[in-house]
Amino acid sequence: MTGPGAEGEGGVRRDGRASQGVARRLAEIVGPRNVISDPAELLVYEGDGLQHGRVRPELVVLPGSTEEVAAVVRVAREANVPLVPRGSGTGLSGGARPVPGCAVLSLSRMRRILELDPENGWARVEPGVINLDVSRAVATAGFYYAPDPSSQSVCSIGGNVAENSGGAHCLKYGFTTNHVLAARVVLSDGSVVDLGGPAADAPGYDLLAALVGSEGMLGVVTEVTVRLLRKPETTRTFFATFPSTDEAGAAVSGIIAAGILPAAIEMMDRLAIVAAKAATGLDWPDVGAALLMDADGPHAEVEHVSARAIEIARAAGALEVRVPRDEAERQLMWKGRKSAFAAVGRISPSYLVEDGVIPRSEIARVLRDIGRLAEEAGLRVANVFHAGDGNLHPLVLYDARVPGEEERAARLGGEILRLCIKYGGSITGEHGVGAEKAAYMAEQFGPDDLDTMQRVRCAFDGAALMNPGKVFPTPRLCGERPGPYRPHPAEVAGLAERW
Amino acid sequence: MSAVRAPADGDAVLGMRPRVAVEPGSLDEAAEAMRALARDGASIVFVGGGTDLELGAPPRRLDAVLHTRRLDRIREHAPSDQIVAVEAGMTIAALQRHLAPHGQRLALDPPHPERATVGGVLAANAFGPRRTRHGAVRDLVIGITLVRADGVVARGGGKVVKNVAGFDLPRLLCGSLGSLGLVAEVVFRLHPLPEACATVAFGGLSPAEVRALTRATLDARLEPAAVAALQEGDGRFRLAMRFEGFAPGVREQTDRLLALDARGERLAGADEAAPWARHDALRAAGDVRAKAAFRPAALEEAVRAVEAVTATLGAGALVLYPTLGIAFAGGRLVRADATGSAIAAARATLRPGNGSLVLAAAPAALRDLVDPWGDPPPALEVMRRLKRELDPDGRLAPGRVVGGI
Repeated sequence: MTGPGAEGEGGVRRDGRASQGVARRLAEIVGPRNVISDPAELLVYEGDGLQHGRVRPELVVLPGSTEEVAAVVRVAREANVPLVPRGSGTGLSGGARPVPGCAVLSLSRMRRILELDPENGWARVEPGVINLDVSRAVATAGFYYAPDPSSQSVCSIGGNVAENSGGAHCLKYGFTTNHVLAARVVLSDGSVVDLGGPAADAPGYDLLAALVGSEGMLGVVTEVTVRLLRKPETTRTFFATFPSTDEAGAAVSGIIAAGILPAAIEMMDRLAIVAAKAATGLDWPDVGAALLMDADGPHAEVEHVSARAIEIARAAGALEVRVPRDEAERQLMWKGRKSAFAAVGRISPSYLVEDGVIPRSEIARVLRDIGRLAEEAGLRVANVFHAGDGNLHPLVLYDARVPGEEERAARLGGEILRLCIKYGGSITGEHGVGAEKAAYMAEQFGPDDLDTMQRVRCAFDGAALMNPGKVFPTPRLCGERPGPYRPHPAEVAGLAERW
Repeated sequence: MSAVRAPADGDAVLGMRPRVAVEPGSLDEAAEAMRALARDGASIVFVGGGTDLELGAPPRRLDAVLHTRRLDRIREHAPSDQIVAVEAGMTIAALQRHLAPHGQRLALDPPHPERATVGGVLAANAFGPRRTRHGAVRDLVIGITLVRADGVVARGGGKVVKNVAGFDLPRLLCGSLGSLGLVAEVVFRLHPLPEACATVAFGGLSPAEVRALTRATLDARLEPAAVAALQEGDGRFRLAMRFEGFAPGVREQTDRLLALDARGERLAGADEAAPWARHDALRAAGDVRAKAAFRPAALEEAVRAVEAVTATLGAGALVLYPTLGIAFAGGRLVRADATGSAIAAARATLRPGNGSLVLAAAPAALRDLVDPWGDPPPALEVMRRLKRELDPDGRLAPGRVVGGI
């Protein structure tokens, strides 16, 4: 990580912090009210949804347009001040965590919906627009924006693009990357480029694919064109309880094996159910595990699929199956699920949210392994997760007031990530790598894999100005070329001779 | 050890003959061959089934052709996790034959499945009418193994559907036409084979009627898996919509579509496949083939622009994917100047809606007059930098991609 005056990221010499002079120049661009340097006001920008590892930025700048973003980037580039882009700050991986001396570039003033075109299936919005507001804007026309992270009432589209955000309904509908059609991006040299387009298959490399999920390291997104979908005709939901996660896991496997693609299928274990009950007052029974499933689509298809899934759940050992009587009751069931993270606060003074992925068929085994690791660490873990795609969200419960417990919790979280890697999964399904998990990238990927990814970063941001210190355990110097390749003697003798 | 041989006529790429042809039989052999070629400074084109070799511009130089046909194995199939890892040279049809007994498929139906390979389909972004429901290859790929120009093997993505660790190399490589690296292995998410399938076809439609009926279908919240409109000899269109899923759902959706527009005809059994076979034939027609992209609401305007192109061709064929805003035009080149002018005019029409017209095949006479890609994209400079990062000496499919990359 880059300190003032240090030999920084990518070998670029950082002249120092975002100084008074830089602040003045930025104020000329965005107006003095939109540059924050008061220490008390900077507090909120010290981190994102993660509570620990906070770093105070030198200043925060809030541009109001693409042109202002470009001008801000040029000033930062000249002064070698790293920029940390930020949306709503709800991320859970430290993706918007400042680095010393940096300027945080907040997109929260850019929250206009620029154009709605449901007939062609898209909306063009500024990055600070709240996820749910896109759906709200087109609801009366019968459309919605599909990716639905649990934080969708507060998180921004720009942040979703950075993190390739998911959500419960991504099992059927895909992730942010499947729903972004175009983006306007300010690159680290201050140039503005348009990637993709509302028409299909824009010629050239799919740079948009690289941009989505790049965690703010490739550029600053100032406009996003997202796909709008028609709301499905019918949605059927059921909630089923099970003696343990083994039976619930078998039900999920059975449903998938029957050729059913649920819109969402979520699992909670005993501790998560207890927490959700405590937070919402739902009359859920005290059981070992529960599933919440949505099927959606045309009427007859959904009725058939839902009935079949309920049969499978019963055959797998469901204790009870509840079907909501009306939309209000359905919303309540989902509220129970979506509030589960925060609800854990009711049963533990502190907790850590993990995010890892495993092959779906290994759910029962991995949960047992997590239970064993938790026991060894002397901590409790509540599990609430997207069962359909094996995306676990273990919540490690601890008490920060007890000396050493926070460290033990962090260690346990790390062991759970290693478990995900061991089972052939991933260290993150939707929260991103950020600053928090960069070290684990070297365990999931080899050096050549990471080197290749960093070359992509170099193509966009050779100066490593954008969100340094994220994703990669070791920064790569752009323009660096390895020494000449030395062939293996066998190649010289064999293959190479032939041409 | 890779099989290395003298080139044959079949190794030519858009009329250019390589000095050598190499056919690695494993990832290790592919990497070894790539390192040797790197040391030689050889320019390389990767070839799978050769079904999309005419897409893009001819290579500026061609020393070696690397065939993936011996890389044709399933690496891993986890039916309960609905994923498959497969070597790049396996054909789509062979992959589907492996998956079918497990009640699964790759939900991608590009042309020529018996020849088109997994790697080629990814590199060329090839797709068929099921893109309506399941998306293109970028929506189905979850992992990739790449051999870089320098012979380094790199992986991106993984074996789980949900995964945001690291930059998205798998999707970035989609449509890159072998210019960023050799796609050696691909991991896909799979979908269940549907229990039931039916097609409803409507004949004699104008472009406006195609658009209106498609829109009415979607507004009625019906969810066709595939939608294609095929131009008939009289210039009218035959619109085919295929529904897939469980039997009661397919029945209800086709009933409702027929209630929406009584001109429709439900096709079942052997007849069900007929419009789709016709679709395949039309998409393969001619020595000139082009793909146009447009905003779905501007379908009539796009059809007029593309019809002006097919009118210059012998036995012109036109296929629309109205929900996606895509048209495929094809035919036999008669007068290159006339076709070239019509293409330029069509591009001008499509441009304001961010649309495009790309040549998927063209004889040299037409290539001399028009760029296969059309206008350079706004982010061309970043694309060039990406190319330089991954292939600094410009040896992989040089000149094949947009803007002469």
